[in-house]
Amino acid sequence: MPDNWEFVLAAYGLAALLLGGYWRRLRRLERVLTAAPSEREGIGGGASPSPMRSMPLPPPEVRERRSP
Amino acid sequence: MHRALGWLTLLALAAGLVMGFGIAPREVTQGHVQRIMYLHVPSVLVAYLAFAVVLGASIAYLWTRRQEADRLAQASAEVGVLFTAITITSGSIWGKPTWGTWWTWDARLTSVAILFVMYLGYLLLRSMIEDRERAARYSAVLGIVAALDIPLVHFSVYWWRTLHQPPTVLKPGPAAMPSVFVAALLVNLAAFALLYAYFVLTRVRLLRREQEVLV
Repeated sequence: MPDNWEFVLAAYGLAALLLGGYWRRLRRLERVLTAAPSEREGIGGGASPSPMRSMPLPPPEVRERRSP
Repeated sequence: MHRALGWLTLLALAAGLVMGFGIAPREVTQGHVQRIMYLHVPSVLVAYLAFAVVLGASIAYLWTRRQEADRLAQASAEVGVLFTAITITSGSIWGKPTWGTWWTWDARLTSVAILFVMYLGYLLLRSMIEDRERAARYSAVLGIVAALDIPLVHFSVYWWRTLHQPPTVLKPGPAAMPSVFVAALLVNLAAFALLYAYFVLTRVRLLRREQEVLV
């Protein structure tokens, strides 16, 4: 039977991509959560119940108008 | 402690690669493609472990209503889905040169696909319910029900006629392969178990921080 190295590389490569992708997601989430609250609002939107749900903040002039 | 676990995991993964590609010899029948086993088998065993932890943590949550149990269940389910995805993709890639097909609806493959979809549904359910307590309660029930598929996956190769071979590691009696193959498999299993622990600890910590931020 041929050695089929390309299948071996594909399997390990795909696994590395999946694991690396999850690790990067955890790192990104950690950065968001450790960021200063103002930065976190910029990333998470502040209005959203979860910091992962991204909703961009309105421009500063709109925010000023909204604030009491 | 957490950082040390990360480095230990990295070392173990490197050792696993050395064992799988450097120490373990080329298998006579399948050739080098058999080396996918050192990825495929540990990932499915760690997925079993992850979903067993979801089961335990879900029962603990319903019993005690402690947030820590719910966080552990969520983190473990996420990592379990990740390892199940690796199991399915590596198995499919291994199946093509050995069975001549990427996928077949045999009992083992189908039950693993159901397992994957059920825990994806678990994660989806969590993300859809705004009320944290209600999300925890509903997903705990689903976490218990979904675990029923784990024995079905494992014993499917005995209960039905399948293309998939019987278990290599989780079976009574001695392993049906030379000790060097078993050693390579066990080193990779240990590495994947460490990776699971590292991911789950990180995710639990982040979930705790996320809740602190939102309060």
